[in-house]
Parts: sequence; structure tokens; C-alpha cells
Amino acid sequence: MTMAAPAPAVSAGKATSVPMRWRRRAIFGPGIGELVLVYGLLALVLIETLYPLIWVLFGSFKSKEEVIANVWGPPAHLLWSNYAEAWKISGMGARIFNSASITAGALLLLVLAATPAAYALSRIRFRGRNVILAFIVAAMLVPPQVMAIPLFMTARDLGLVNSRVGIAIIHAASTLPLSIFIMRSFFLTLPMELEDAARMDGANRVQTLWHVMLPLIRPGIALVTIFAFIEIWNDFFLAFLLLREPSVQTIPLGLVAFFQQYGSMWNLYFAALTLTTLPVIAVFLLMQRHFIAGLTAGAVKS
Amino acid sequence: MAASGRRTGATGGDAFAAGLMLAPAALLLGVFFVWPFLRGLWISATRWDGFSTPVFVGFANYARLFGDSLFQGALLNNLIFVALILIFKNGLGMGLALLLDRALFFRGPIRAAVFIPVTLSFAATGLLWSWIYNPVFGLLNAALDLVGLAGLKHSWLGDADIALYAIVAVDIWKWLGFHAVIYLAGLQTIPGELYEAARIDGASAFHRFRHITLPLMMPVVLINVILGLSGAFVRNFDIVQVLTQGGPNHATEVVMTLMVKTAFQDGNMGYASAMGFTLFLIVGLCCVALLALMRRSRVDL
Repeated sequence: MTMAAPAPAVSAGKATSVPMRWRRRAIFGPGIGELVLVYGLLALVLIETLYPLIWVLFGSFKSKEEVIANVWGPPAHLLWSNYAEAWKISGMGARIFNSASITAGALLLLVLAATPAAYALSRIRFRGRNVILAFIVAAMLVPPQVMAIPLFMTARDLGLVNSRVGIAIIHAASTLPLSIFIMRSFFLTLPMELEDAARMDGANRVQTLWHVMLPLIRPGIALVTIFAFIEIWNDFFLAFLLLREPSVQTIPLGLVAFFQQYGSMWNLYFAALTLTTLPVIAVFLLMQRHFIAGLTAGAVKS
Repeated sequence: MAASGRRTGATGGDAFAAGLMLAPAALLLGVFFVWPFLRGLWISATRWDGFSTPVFVGFANYARLFGDSLFQGALLNNLIFVALILIFKNGLGMGLALLLDRALFFRGPIRAAVFIPVTLSFAATGLLWSWIYNPVFGLLNAALDLVGLAGLKHSWLGDADIALYAIVAVDIWKWLGFHAVIYLAGLQTIPGELYEAARIDGASAFHRFRHITLPLMMPVVLINVILGLSGAFVRNFDIVQVLTQGGPNHATEVVMTLMVKTAFQDGNMGYASAMGFTLFLIVGLCCVALLALMRRSRVDL
């Protein structure tokens, strides 16, 4: 996923939304014609965005025949057995386990590696720091895809092909530059005095980071975790490259394999798709305020 | 970098602590970033099947790219992909942001709704659309039937003239909300007084957009272009692989899919690596040019 480098300080949209509403009304007036036009167009966008997803949900409850006979509408009966059957023949249980363990391991490693690095790069002066910073920024702009072949070779030499641990480590490495960059911008917003006080009291660098900074940096860790979660959970490319054995494959590979194998069983396929995407959409909807605030704060400075 | 100036003189202990804290990240990036990058440069200068001893060939792989019509077709497709995506993601994203900015009610929920496709995986998105595009049972052809435009029905992914555009449309569908959300945040930083003054001066809605919104939004446009750029160049493997695998007859082949085929089907690691680095060079030059443009217009990231 491409993304901006969010800076933490302002959640611009949220803070200004009320006066904005008033302001726009004052400028453009409550013209009924304009409102109708705006909401008419927005309704079209919503249909274009959401109907395909609702269509999948509808389809997941239909019988194989009804999917073809009743293309558009909701199902006549809720065929819950589609889900049980899709679960059984797709082997989704194992795939969900693989995706979850790979994502969890990668996120843990990512946070453990990115947090101290970002702290050192924002708070400690040492020679070569600017060179490292420039390298991090450059690394953010180099997509891992262009190195697919040497990356595969390196993984092969290290015995990390077809390994859940291996792909988790590589995920952590490929999301690391952006994560360090985001976390560093969070550290930079924290007042220096806090740290000086801790150092006065005789805490060393590691103790300062652990006891004083870490509790304050939680929003930064949360933002990095959300972005990296979506990137890693949804990853197709690295999994395609490194996970050749079905037993270690993740959900995206599983969906494609299921589709290729049981292409005509639309209803089951829709059930598998719903089963694996609905949780992600739910997580997003629950956290969307933080997510969008973090995304826009970095890209747009108010 | 600014915050560093406040602390004077790093002690030896500090340098040691910094080294300790950077070690895990350095190890990860060293093994899985720097080393593969350098190794890839070396591989691209060899003829190698991945198993036997590599044969050094210098720049021969790069030279061969110039005469390879398959690669040039893929690169052309890639450029079409990039151009269309930049135009439509930004045009439609800005349009949607303007609509959302005018919406007095339900702005938050609508914004969240249009963002949902961004959170879906390319695999899920691609497979969903391969059903929509299905020539026999697909939603799109059924919709054309419904509105009496049966003449426009196509085998969307099977027709070499259309397939690339069909894939581009899916990518735009997935990312539209992402760009709209960033544009919306940008629009909300423009002071309302500017519009008020322009209105009093009798400027039409179009003039207000052209002379107030657009100039003030240029930094945000540039950010969106850069965000879209690396994605459009390189991250298109997933969507192409899931929808068409580069077919029919290479009509939707992009550099990444051709690279993977060259490496893992033809067993030609050196040539495939050369493709990757050539693409990297093109993306890098575009990014550098855009960043220079941003610096000139005094925008900082």
C-alpha cells in the first residue's frame, strides 16, 4: 500500500469539522438545487463503491442456481450452509491461522525494531545520523518488488522459502523504513524536558526509552501497526514469491487457489470472500477515525 | 533533524546506546534490503538460471532490453497504466473530495464508506472484479442489458483491446477513496474567507475553483501524484496477476509480471533482474523530478 508519512500532532479534519460546516453553509448558501446535485452524485459513488460488496454478501447466501437466475437482488433464503461448505473445502481455517500468525509475528518484530531505531534517530546525536536518515527516506521510495529476484535468492539461501517465520521477518523488514519514519515524527513531537528529567534522575538511554518515552509513543505505535497490518494481511506479492506450499499459504493466496479450483461454485466462493474480508472491514470501520486522521495529518499540513 | 541541535556533544555512552538501538533495524535492512539490492545489481550483470554458476555478461542484459519487443510492450502497458491511473485517481479523487466538502450531512460515514475498498486485499478485489467482468454471468454485462445497452457487452478481460483498461478501472475503484480522503483534508485547510471575497467580487464557481482551490491545492496534488506513482509503476503485479496474468497474449503484461515470468518460468534470473532495475531507475527518476518540482513550489513533505 502506498501511503503518506503521517505526522502525529494535528488531527486536522476532526478539529475543524464543525466550523467548516458552518463556513461552507455561509459561503454557498443552503441552495436546494446544489444539495440535490451533491447528494445525487454521492449516491452514485456510494452505489459504485458498495454495491459490488453487497452483491458478494447477497451471493454468499444464494444457491448455485440462484446466483445465475437472480443476479441483482437479495437471496430468497439465507443458505448458511454455503459458509460451512466453503470453510470445509477451501481449507480457510489453516489459511486464516497462517495469515494471523505471520501478521502477528511481523508486527511484533516491526515494532520491536522500529521503536528503538526511531528513538535513536530522533533523540540521540551521533555521527552518521543524517546519512542513516537519508537512507531510510530512500528506502521508503524503493518498493521491495523491484528486488523480487535477489530477495527470493536471499530467502532461499537462508532457508526462509515456505517458512512462516521467514516471510514474517521479510514483511517486518519491508515495512520498516516507513515505520521508522512515522515513529520518528512522533518522537520529535515529545518535549525534550521529560527526557532530561529522567536522565537527571540517573536513567540511562534504554531505561528512558522504556519507562518514559514508550507510554507516550503509543499513538505512534498504533498508527504504524494499523498501516502495517493492512499491508501485511493483504499482501499477495511476497506470499506469491515465497510461500509455494499450500500448507503455509495465506488468505489472499488461498482465495486465488480456491477460485482457480472451484471457479464455477460462485456462491461458495462468495462465502469464502465474505468470511475473510468482513473482519478487515469491521476493524477498519471501528478504527476509521484514527486511521483517516493519521493518514491525512501527514499528507496535509494545516 | 531540527530537534537535534538542543543537546550538545554526544558522549561515548550515547553513541553506544544509539548503536544498540539501531542494531535490530540495521540487521533487518542490511540482510533483506541492502544485500538483495546489491546482489540484484550483480545478478543483472550475469546470465544465471538460479542454480548453476552465474556467467558474467556485463551490460548485455540491459542492452538486450532495447531489442525486446515483449519488454517494450510491457513497459508501454506500464506507462499507459501509470498515465491513466494518475489522471483518473487525481481527477475523480478531487471531484469526490469537492462533493464531500459540500456535503453538510453524513460526511463522515460517506467518507468511511468510500474508503472501504482501500482496506481490501488485491486478491479479494481482483477476484471480485473478475466475477463482475465475467462475460456470461457478470454484473457489468447484466447491467448493460438492464439499461438497454446490450451492444456494449464485452468479454472485458478476454478482449486484448479492452483488458488493460478494465484492469486500470479496478485499480481506480480500489484507490479512489484513498485519494479523495487526502484531497478532502487539503480542501478543508483552505480559508473560507478567500471564497467569500471572490464571491463578493463576482467570481463564478468555476473561477473560484480555477483561481483559488486549484493553486492552493497544488501541494496536495503533488503528494497524491507521488503516492500514486510508485504504486502505479510497481505495485500493479497483484492486480494483473489475479485478473489476467498478463494475458490475453501479453495484452495486459506489465514489467513486474513479465519479470516474474522471466525469472521463474524461463529461469532467466539475470535478464529478469535487469528488468526490475530498469523499472526502478524509471520510477526513481520520476520521483526525483517530482520532488524537485515540489521543492521549487516550496512544498515540504
